[in-house]
Amino acid sequence: MDWHLLGLAFVTVFLSELGDKSQLAAIALGGSSKSVRAVFLGTAAALVTASFLGVMLGGASAQLLPIRWIKAIAAIGFFAMAIRLLWPSREQQLTQQDATCNELE
Amino acid sequence: MLEPSISELTASELTAPDELAASEPSGSLHEAASSNQGHSISGTSLGVKAEVQIFLSTFLTIFLAEIGDKTQLAILLMSAESQSPWLVFLGAGLALIATSLCGVLLGKWLSTRVSPKVLDKSAGLLLLMISALLTWEFFQAN
Repeated sequence: MDWHLLGLAFVTVFLSELGDKSQLAAIALGGSSKSVRAVFLGTAAALVTASFLGVMLGGASAQLLPIRWIKAIAAIGFFAMAIRLLWPSREQQLTQQDATCNELE
Repeated sequence: MLEPSISELTASELTAPDELAASEPSGSLHEAASSNQGHSISGTSLGVKAEVQIFLSTFLTIFLAEIGDKTQLAILLMSAESQSPWLVFLGAGLALIATSLCGVLLGKWLSTRVSPKVLDKSAGLLLLMISALLTWEFFQAN
């Protein structure tokens, strides 16, 4: 086992991910969501799957995947989540109030 | 018959010896404490369906945002150059899990400091910013 290579890969990726948009998303979702566990599992699984796909497809991933349009879909997804947090619907507000009441009890 | 003896045992572990005589109230105290603990671990009493929904929406958006990202390209290059690509993948995977855990825990810690209203607004703005960043990347990429 080449511990040097393992450590190098870990440190490189760890440093490049610090403060990156996926970590910012993890902070935002982890703080505002009701289930921290689900957000953590979702984030970690998404990141590992994306890098797995990168390793599998190799250099061809840029040609095989319509990366531009995938980014557009992701932008819409984040936009929708932002709107839901900034202007919660009536129904969500009620469940939120319920949750805070439960916490107070 | 077995159940009360178990609850007495766990209660005796928690309470001081001189309080053992009054095992009835300490037992109920222990029960209340344990139910409280279960509450804090699972957040609020969320159903499995709601948790799966949160998991899926998080997974999908971050997965799509991360495809073709600079981290993914770095992992790709490192694994292509090295003799053991799976070791690179293992290191990278552990790092990604670690950063997401840090992020989520930081968010959770912030949620104990800031009021829920301010937190939701700032989280919403942060997500809006990420959306703008991705839109910018959309127009940059050719």
